Amino acid sequence: MVIRKDTGTAHNGLSDWYWQRLSAVLLLVTLPLPFLLLWGVYSGALNQFALLDLLDHFLSRLFHTLLIIAIVVHAYIGLKTILEDYVHPPMLRVLLIGTMLVAMATAGIWWLALVWAWGG
Amino acid sequence: MQHKGSNRTYPPAPMSPRLSIYRWHIPMIASIAHRASGMALILFVPFYLWVLHGMTGTPEDFDQAVVLLHSPVGRLALWIADIAVVYHFCNGIRFLTLDAGWCESQQMMRLSARIVLFIALLAALFFGWLLW
Repeated sequence: MVIRKDTGTAHNGLSDWYWQRLSAVLLLVTLPLPFLLLWGVYSGALNQFALLDLLDHFLSRLFHTLLIIAIVVHAYIGLKTILEDYVHPPMLRVLLIGTMLVAMATAGIWWLALVWAWGG
Repeated sequence: MQHKGSNRTYPPAPMSPRLSIYRWHIPMIASIAHRASGMALILFVPFYLWVLHGMTGTPEDFDQAVVLLHSPVGRLALWIADIAVVYHFCNGIRFLTLDAGWCESQQMMRLSARIVLFIALLAALFFGWLLW
């Protein structure tokens, strides 16, 4: 089979595959946590003092940091795969993947800053 | 198609998934639902950041974040994100077991796809009941 290589398609499929699985395992542990936080606040089980006590804990910051890194890696590879499948013009695909990477990196950095800043 | 720097011709690269060619079946629905739930979760991140920003701000900001969570838009966002995370979580485990080479037979793939879709349905009912 002849593989036609196009700009902005997966030349690095094995590496993508590996990082997608590694971040997935990390997310199995860390992703449920923010949902527990949201439900705690939604249900009234956590008031702001209780919430900030939780978030101020070193472990909480550590888990949040791992979560953010894993989300950015996982979401980037996932969305990149979808774009590679459905967006056919190479220039548009490169533009979309690039824009996505910048947007996700920005959101990740903002989120990290938020995590490490609260509580003083 | 002519490739640059060569006079060989290549057939156009196949694009997956070829929805117009394949017959719909359960594992395919499970796979597409994985992509859809992943997109929903990505869209939920800005919402979560906004709420988190509010919850860690002044007491007034916190109260506003709680009001936002309880508003129709907040409940809908929570509902969709909760279903998406339950589905993506379960089907993600399913994909990892397939990568490990377990349960790869056609029957097992169909059965496991049915199971994760059924769990998502249960999650939709359960969280719908909690939120309304």
